[in-house]
Amino acid sequence: MNRFVDLAKNPLLISSVAILALLVIGELVSPGFARGDQIVRLLTVSAILGIAAAGQNLVILGGREGIDLSIGAVISLGAVIAGNVMNGSDAAIPLAFAAACCAGFLIGLVNGLGVTYLRIPPLVMTLGMMGVIQGGLVVLSRGVPSGNAAPALMAFVNRSAFLGIPGILFVWAAIVVLMALMLKRTRFGWSIYAIGSNENAAVLTGLPARRIRVLLYGLAGLFGGFTGVCVIGYTGNSFISVGDQYVLPSVIAVVIGGTSLSGGAGSYTGTALGAIALILLQSVLTTLNLEFWGRQVIFGVTLLLLMLLYGRQARLRV
Amino acid sequence: MQPVLRASDISKSFGAVRALDKARLTVERGEIHALLGANGCGKSTLCKIIAGTVGRDTGEVLIDGKAAALGSPRLAEAEGVALFYQELSLVPQLSVGENIFLGREPRERLGFTDRAAIARETEALIARVAAVAGKGFTPDARVADLTPDQRQLAEILKVLARQPKIIIFDEATATLDRRQVEVFFDILRELKAEGVSSIFISHRMDEVFAIADRITVMRNGQTVAEFAATETDRYAVVYAMVGETGAIAASVRDHRPLEGDARLVVEGARAARLGPVSFTARCGEILGLGGLQGQGQKALLAGLFGAEPFQSGHVSLDGVDVTAGRPADAMAHRIAYVSGDRGRDSALPGRSIFENTAIASLVRERRHVIPGALFRERFADVLAGLNTRYAGLDAPIGSLSGGNQQKVFISRWLSPAPGLLLLDDPTKGIDLGAKGDFYLLARKLADEGATVIIYSSEDSELLSLCDRVLVLNGGAITADLTGDRLTPFELTRASYGDAA
Repeated sequence: MNRFVDLAKNPLLISSVAILALLVIGELVSPGFARGDQIVRLLTVSAILGIAAAGQNLVILGGREGIDLSIGAVISLGAVIAGNVMNGSDAAIPLAFAAACCAGFLIGLVNGLGVTYLRIPPLVMTLGMMGVIQGGLVVLSRGVPSGNAAPALMAFVNRSAFLGIPGILFVWAAIVVLMALMLKRTRFGWSIYAIGSNENAAVLTGLPARRIRVLLYGLAGLFGGFTGVCVIGYTGNSFISVGDQYVLPSVIAVVIGGTSLSGGAGSYTGTALGAIALILLQSVLTTLNLEFWGRQVIFGVTLLLLMLLYGRQARLRV
Repeated sequence: MQPVLRASDISKSFGAVRALDKARLTVERGEIHALLGANGCGKSTLCKIIAGTVGRDTGEVLIDGKAAALGSPRLAEAEGVALFYQELSLVPQLSVGENIFLGREPRERLGFTDRAAIARETEALIARVAAVAGKGFTPDARVADLTPDQRQLAEILKVLARQPKIIIFDEATATLDRRQVEVFFDILRELKAEGVSSIFISHRMDEVFAIADRITVMRNGQTVAEFAATETDRYAVVYAMVGETGAIAASVRDHRPLEGDARLVVEGARAARLGPVSFTARCGEILGLGGLQGQGQKALLAGLFGAEPFQSGHVSLDGVDVTAGRPADAMAHRIAYVSGDRGRDSALPGRSIFENTAIASLVRERRHVIPGALFRERFADVLAGLNTRYAGLDAPIGSLSGGNQQKVFISRWLSPAPGLLLLDDPTKGIDLGAKGDFYLLARKLADEGATVIIYSSEDSELLSLCDRVLVLNGGAITADLTGDRLTPFELTRASYGDAA
């Protein structure tokens, strides 16, 4: 019985069941919803959210109320940088990825330094950073969309690379595998869980908790910049608020995937499933003709319900 | 004249632990009465019963000859008993007067706070302690702007405003410096002149003899002696605290002669509440840090491990400089640290036993990839060697009992064995069986050549385990006890600042 209850509370299982249920509901409401090419389409959108959520996942796992609200602005920045670097040229794609990722990484490091060394609460630090980037983007672009995606990048996101599956899904799959290996099999991964679980104890086993946390915010920025390039590949051109829509969903995907908001427990595999479930939910709601505001309400309610459900897991006290 | 307080035959049990066994305490009017005894003798419990925060099982408390109702702090207050809290209870943003009357402000007709009454009554209170009030101590002064001495005074006025007959000061001087203690004593004498009685708990013997009129000594929940301060001496008081058996019985440990050269040399180590201290320790030695709680023992261990680095000083181990700036430095020199505060310093809650034990080895061995099979085998062996009971390496750490958790945390440091093992009250709150395993382990590691330094809040643990005990008092080493001098009597005496 107990074992059954444990299983019923397993986030991976909950997410998987939710995904299947949403597919069935979608198919019932609108036949063709669960067709192969539709699923690939949904997975592609999920991949973009999932890559953004990887960064969010890391800072949340690291504890101390870790969260990155600047991730949307970093995505926008990455998209604008990539668009201007490429300007339609395939040859500049590697440079676009490098520039966007570097910019994101540096911004993330600043977030991390503020959070660890200046002791600014992550919510405030990253919210402030979001404002700074958004303002900076308006000044730099003068509010006019500029730059556009190279054809090969758009193909990478939108067209089949192999067996009808676009390249970005292979990249995402690789990220899922690498994140799982990193978190489970490396000292860096264990360190993330350790500082998220009990920073003081982690320090007393010799782990450099502050440096690790700075790096986590840096990586969150890097994933944000990477996501920005994918976004411009998806949409073709960039505008300066293109990333805003990813802020709340990136947090929700992490929570659906079973990562504790207080840090120290969770997995990226869960987050990836969470991202898929969330995109499916969004699609079903769109199919039901719910407007943007209605979806926001459902997102918020989903987040609260899940926190309620996971929060009730008996946490073993030491 | 009848005493202001007479408590007799007070008994109290917490579960199976008998904290008080027919204890008694008599306090005369206008008397400063010192209550003494080793940690856990029941003096705090007795005070809590008198102040109404803990209920008694049996016994009787008379105040001014009448049976007193002490069911709650509020009732005890109405009976004239007040408990003095050192700091904590003042609101810095409010004025002295507002703090004193916080929660029981005098009201005007319309229900607003009567500020004039607060000012008037605070003024009257300050007048009583005018001799020590100092500049700027007015009813309107903000507490945040006061000097530390004046804040302490405001705390006392807060208690005085309730017009108590008896004030209990439980270790009120523990955090004060010498000059502040003088000010505090002036206030006590002032109160005494007004006929207010004080019950004074202190761990500093010279303070007790400087201020107390009478002394009551408790041991194992019983009242064992009452003295007039002028008619006794420190020796007799310590003797009463330790008891005849403790004073006379020689230690039953097999004393091992300490041979060989010093391999750990600490010179001039200084931290916030420590030192400078210098000492040495040998190979195979179990060195105890004794003394009352909070005398710098924890700071010394944290400094040696680099958790809170020393401000100055040098540490060398086997001739190598091992002065640590952070734990990783100490770990590189095979220094290990186990804290008794498992929840704060050791546990990674929600993580597996395997992660909880193997994490330190990754740092020590500079491994970036976890050698799963190798480590699993290694730590399963280590845990088995400690008689650890656990379901499996992947079970969460929280599924274990306190004793078994502590075995997991010490197993972090056992493979390879440490050269210097620092133990900070390591057996706190763990069962007897696990304690025994712990002692065996410490002895085994020492026999294999490690140096073990242990702080314990239980003197008996130091006496049964250590080859030598350094007694700390106020951040300084005040006694170095070995051989025949390592007895309960000498340890207690040195702890209470009465070093021979």
